[in-house]
Amino acid sequence: MDMIVNPVLLFLALAIGGVGVAVSVPRRKFQASLIGGIIAATGVGLLIVALGGASLARGEGLPSPAFHILAIIALGSCLQVITHRRPVYAALYFILSILSTAGLYLLLAAEFMAFALIIIYAGAILITYLFVIMLASQSRVESEEEGMAEYDAVGRGPITATIASFILLATLTVMLFSGINDISAPTEAEVARVQVEVLDQLPGKVEKVLHREDLISLNETVVGLDERGLSAIVESPDGGQRQVVLPPDLSATNTEGLAFNLLGQYPGTIEIAGVILLMAMLGAVVLARKFAQIDEEAKAAAAAALHESRPISGGHANG
Amino acid sequence: MVDLLLAQSAFPEAMSQGVLAHYLFVSAAMFTLGLVGFLTRRNLIIMFLCTEMMFQAAGLALVAFSRYHLNYDGQTFVIFVLTVAAAEAALALALVVFLFRKRDSLSAEAWSELKG
Repeated sequence: MDMIVNPVLLFLALAIGGVGVAVSVPRRKFQASLIGGIIAATGVGLLIVALGGASLARGEGLPSPAFHILAIIALGSCLQVITHRRPVYAALYFILSILSTAGLYLLLAAEFMAFALIIIYAGAILITYLFVIMLASQSRVESEEEGMAEYDAVGRGPITATIASFILLATLTVMLFSGINDISAPTEAEVARVQVEVLDQLPGKVEKVLHREDLISLNETVVGLDERGLSAIVESPDGGQRQVVLPPDLSATNTEGLAFNLLGQYPGTIEIAGVILLMAMLGAVVLARKFAQIDEEAKAAAAAALHESRPISGGHANG
Repeated sequence: MVDLLLAQSAFPEAMSQGVLAHYLFVSAAMFTLGLVGFLTRRNLIIMFLCTEMMFQAAGLALVAFSRYHLNYDGQTFVIFVLTVAAAEAALALALVVFLFRKRDSLSAEAWSELKG
């Protein structure tokens, strides 16, 4: 097997990372979150440097500096989520890791998903989590240690859990780093085809840009692109057609491409997502109701009790 | 720094395998951290938070592959992942509220005597 990172180095880095994570899991007597974090960061840093070296050696260049900053913030705040003893802080650190993941999405040219991630995750899901954490909050004492519930202060089997998880991570990384050479890269023709497929469905946008650049007159319309996507076929009012070379900065945006993919190729997705969300909403309402009486007998009994008690308590049966 | 934020955004050029490996490693590490948290924490809310972390790691891998293969299918699937994550959060939190009312505790071990 031909891995892009030296296997010995890979396993060493993963072992260091695993030790760091195991050390920083909350314990009864002490919490070595800082030390554990530093050890784990050493392991991850070692592996990232090795990956960067391998990437440079293959002549493929490094990811941008922003990638390294965002990846460190994301993984560091994920470590805080799983080791912080106070649930509210864990949720806040998770919001930080979502924001840095959204940054990584931006670097991957997925703006729509980046902002959807911030709106849905950080804006909706995590706020719900924060509400529930505050609703079910246990700490009635203000002081540091006594106020904390026992189940927050002590982790469960950190060594076993970390060993199991890092064996999984080792398997994953070995598979990724050895299989990555076999993933075929798209050819230049395919890259052009992606652009053409999207732009071909947006004659209005092409027309607007060509008008702005004064490449066509106002009474001419764009009827399509040629198959290589380098020029537009323009029709004048008298029926004559000509080809106009597209300006080089004209390209379909991520949102346009995603919209055509979502609604053109997978039109059922939105409907299925809607049904899933509706079911979840109904389920949540049923589950969180204070007195869920499902069977008819219980309902009848409750109605009878209400009816009986009404004359006595003067219509305030519900108290 | 401005050109990092991709003025021309729709898959400007192909990404190399070495760079893809970086993103996939971050995704795998995030998934592992979520798994460690799910196994070690005993607070029900934090356990569900850790499953959200694993969802997020899967989403990052999908977007990275979408960028590498220069098609939009991966991002479309991330929309679906977000939907499932939202549904899971709503149901899980309703369950947590329900269980908290019964036992006045968020500990997963408060329910260890369940049969089956």
